[in-house]
Amino acid sequence: MAATSNPATEQYNFDIVRKFAIMTLFWGVVGMFVGVYIASELAWPFLNFDSPYFSFGRFRPVHTGGVIFGFGGSALFATSYYVVQRTCQTRLFAPGLATFTFWGWQAVIVLAALSYVMGYSQGKEYAEMEWPIDLLIEVVWVAYLIVFVGTLMNRKQPHIYVANWFYLSFILATALLHTFNNIAIPVGLFTLKSYSLFAGPQDAMTQWWYGHNAVGFFLTAAFLGMMYYFVPKHAGRPVYSYRLSIVHFWALSFMYMWVGTHHLHWTAIPDWTSTLAATFSIMLLLPSWGGMINGIMTLSGAWDKLRTDPVMRFMIVALSFYGMSTFEGPLMSLKDVNALSHYTDWTVGHVHSGALGWVAMISFGSLYHMIPRLWNTQLYSERLVNAHFWLATIGVLLYITAMWISGIMQGLMWRAFDDFGNLQYSFVESVAAMHPFYAMRAIGGMFFLTGMIIMAYNCFMTIRQAQRAEQAAPAVAVASA
Amino acid sequence: MLHWLAQAENAKPLGLLIFFITFCAIVLWVYGSKKRGERLEEHKNIPFLDDEDASKDKSHG
Amino acid sequence: MFKFKHESLETNAGLLLVLTMLAISVGGLVEIAPLFMIDSTMEKVDGVRPYSPLEQRGRDIYTREGCYTCHSQMIRPFRDEQLRYGHYSLASESKYDHPFQWGSKRTGPDLARVGGKYSNEWHVQHLIKPTSVVPESVMPNYPWLQSTPLDYSDIGDRMRALRTTGVPYSANAEEYKANVEKFGEAVAKTLHIPDAQKNLIAQAQEGNYDSDRTSVSEMDALVAYLQVLGTMVDFRQYKPEDLVKYR
Repeated sequence: MAATSNPATEQYNFDIVRKFAIMTLFWGVVGMFVGVYIASELAWPFLNFDSPYFSFGRFRPVHTGGVIFGFGGSALFATSYYVVQRTCQTRLFAPGLATFTFWGWQAVIVLAALSYVMGYSQGKEYAEMEWPIDLLIEVVWVAYLIVFVGTLMNRKQPHIYVANWFYLSFILATALLHTFNNIAIPVGLFTLKSYSLFAGPQDAMTQWWYGHNAVGFFLTAAFLGMMYYFVPKHAGRPVYSYRLSIVHFWALSFMYMWVGTHHLHWTAIPDWTSTLAATFSIMLLLPSWGGMINGIMTLSGAWDKLRTDPVMRFMIVALSFYGMSTFEGPLMSLKDVNALSHYTDWTVGHVHSGALGWVAMISFGSLYHMIPRLWNTQLYSERLVNAHFWLATIGVLLYITAMWISGIMQGLMWRAFDDFGNLQYSFVESVAAMHPFYAMRAIGGMFFLTGMIIMAYNCFMTIRQAQRAEQAAPAVAVASA
Repeated sequence: MLHWLAQAENAKPLGLLIFFITFCAIVLWVYGSKKRGERLEEHKNIPFLDDEDASKDKSHG
Repeated sequence: MFKFKHESLETNAGLLLVLTMLAISVGGLVEIAPLFMIDSTMEKVDGVRPYSPLEQRGRDIYTREGCYTCHSQMIRPFRDEQLRYGHYSLASESKYDHPFQWGSKRTGPDLARVGGKYSNEWHVQHLIKPTSVVPESVMPNYPWLQSTPLDYSDIGDRMRALRTTGVPYSANAEEYKANVEKFGEAVAKTLHIPDAQKNLIAQAQEGNYDSDRTSVSEMDALVAYLQVLGTMVDFRQYKPEDLVKYR
């Protein structure tokens, strides 16, 4: 169809976006594979192989780091660089610095994974990276901020589109969180080991302020930015309500930071901080659902697309899972529910309904939309996209169902009393009862991983097809222009 | 007043108050005026302004 | 700024940046800042002391192996937890824990008061092969702890780093004297950095945690740490109402 004389592939810096897109697929496969592996270790402990390097405790941060920072992070770099250029109608600011963010970020992921396996860990969840890696992240992040804000400043379009606000708040919040949660005193200049500056309750508060907002800004706000561009764009219709998106943005940015302490209900911190967090967690439901409704209603009047377009299906299912887990989250932040759910697999299930259902699904949809445009081609196979969709959906459902059952069962077994007022079950009885659900969870993960591998293959073939077409047809392009 | 603010356990009502006022202000501002509303809603078309592929989207299915 | 227009925001990247920063900073400040300024979050209880050099090295191994991914160290004030694990955890009990290891998941049981519950021999067997003492366990085997000699060459550096964070390890005679007053002479000796290596070896020899006196292994350190967990406060000294007001 009508190829313009100035295609987007030349107008914008897509090279950096392509690099990050490919690494998103790579880390998706690696990170999810490690996830399936550690899930299997819990179901079949012989898989630890008596080896320090593969034991669950050291391998688990390899999984969380690989999927959050490798897969999620690369997806965010790719889409934010794509969206900011297209909505500002300008090329990326400081391309050299952007390239640095690519190599710097990949180095972070690799070094972090290696250091965990070697036994270097700060011992704080999702922030296990030791101090030299933390410093590298800091530098990469400042470069990212400069590239992003610089591009905003250079825009040809007077208005800054709402997706960019979400990306900006994600970059700022991540900088803030990362800096304060990782203040540590190194044992020496030439050793990786360090000790957190904070201790006990203060360290716990800082950690879960970080931990929850990593979810809030890294895994939510930024992916909402993705949603606000790719859902309207792919549906071919503008977002349902721009005004709602403004309210959504400010309410979300303001409220998320208050809720981290709900990870510390009933622990040795002052009660009021935990009540405050619970209150804000409940209120957070409003902006979250505002965003979900805004996304889903964008499709109103074009629902038939769901039948014909598997990419659209990814996006809508992602929004549905977003709505589901942002309802479940406030529920679990109620102190009485939390008394049961905390320390159990329910939390793990909740995280994954957000991470697999929302974060991964919206990324899949966005990548399937973006990759053909980056290489100026069509997707290699829509049928494979469809297969991926069903594998991913069944995988998530298996996973969270298993974790709901095992989590609630654990919680109930731990607090069960017999007729004489003694504890009814020993701890290890609850461990034994988990086995079938751990197996089911691992199988759910395998489904999801298989989908991910299919996607990587589909994208690989798409890119190869584009490269072949490019080699074969320079003459045709000239003729049609 | 200042004394009340300095008590840590009052952060909860204080936070609620700050949040609620800000929230009302934003909502009033966004939905308060029809003219402003129309102007704001125009911005939703930004993703389509650089389109060379608007027609391509419909080629699915 | 009085005549506020959202366009001035939507069209000004700098202003958007500043206001966003403001919006995201409020919550964190309100939640965290008070904890750093108020002493009242900590119960005044006796007995909590910094870890001895050997225990601290054990704690390092605990974080290295990622034990916190499956074990919590935070007992909540519920009847079932009280019966299963012991008295609920106090804030002051982890005041020297850099980083905190409260955990978020109990794939295995809570360890906040595991100290003294099992014998050293049990811990050693359990760590080498958990199913040998708990057949249903899904915990990995940690055989390398017993066979790996503990590297204590940098114990002084580690304690100095911890001292920088505020743990009262003594680097000179003056600090040592302060520790004697605060913790008593026996404890103060173990907190003295210049004697760290000597103290570490002595505790390993005396405690004989891994039933092998010929060398100091990582097992020695880890078991020494596990055996001190939750044992520092003598709860017979306190009435429930003394403690509950800090919540």
